[in-house]
Amino acid sequence: MSKCDDAIADVYSYLDREVNWYRTWQIRRHLGDCDGCEKAFTFEQRLKIVIRERLHEEVPPEFLTRLRQALETDR
Amino acid sequence: MADQADFEQDAMPLAPQLYAAAVRLTRNPSNAEDLVQETFLKAYRAYESFEAGTNLKAWLYRILTNTFINNYRRDTRRPQETDLGDLEDVYLFRRLNRETAVGLSSSAEEQLLEGLVEDDIKQAVEALPENFRMVVLLADLEGFSYKEIAQILDIPIGTVMSRLHRGRKALQAALWDFAAQRGLVQKDHQ
Repeated sequence: MSKCDDAIADVYSYLDREVNWYRTWQIRRHLGDCDGCEKAFTFEQRLKIVIRERLHEEVPPEFLTRLRQALETDR
Repeated sequence: MADQADFEQDAMPLAPQLYAAAVRLTRNPSNAEDLVQETFLKAYRAYESFEAGTNLKAWLYRILTNTFINNYRRDTRRPQETDLGDLEDVYLFRRLNRETAVGLSSSAEEQLLEGLVEDDIKQAVEALPENFRMVVLLADLEGFSYKEIAQILDIPIGTVMSRLHRGRKALQAALWDFAAQRGLVQKDHQ
């Protein structure tokens, strides 16, 4: 496998901070040398943030009240 | 051992997060409320078995996902890891670069990332098969580590990684379709 294939295979583990320090160092060094991979990693990182932000869900305040009451009734 | 009297104070701050995950899991706000309430009542009754000082959030998600699996899931087949096919890595990035005008890549990326609205992302997540959806939500919405997800769902770490990687690629394929419908990707060929 090329260095690019290797790096892309680890893109999620890297962005999730699930690779060890040595692999982190190797990947960072490759991203410094390779514009294509650097762009791919940056895109994936931004997409990850977009996904998290836009999955936001407002919890209905009435539900929180009901939940507290249910816990108190159960006491 | 945790004191049951502290449960409300300890657990209620986590209710909004659990509710957000529950809506995406059940795909229905009213079922989500039932699922969270059931989770909280079970957790409250078992709180003395929770070891104080350990990961309360992970413990609550374990109860939530177990309750979901037992009571709400529709897809009762044995999970097939190959269900989602084999999409290429960094699917959206590559497809965008292949199919949009050469040289415009950074603005094309911008247009795509800015243009996808909450409903697109939510629908794309909800379209994932349940086993993949659970892992993607635990990682991408809640930020749990692979090890925590393995413990919450009681599956090996390798399975967490496989479902997460496949799930994310399938999510990206669905997002591509939404982006195309919205005209967010301008293809360079007629």
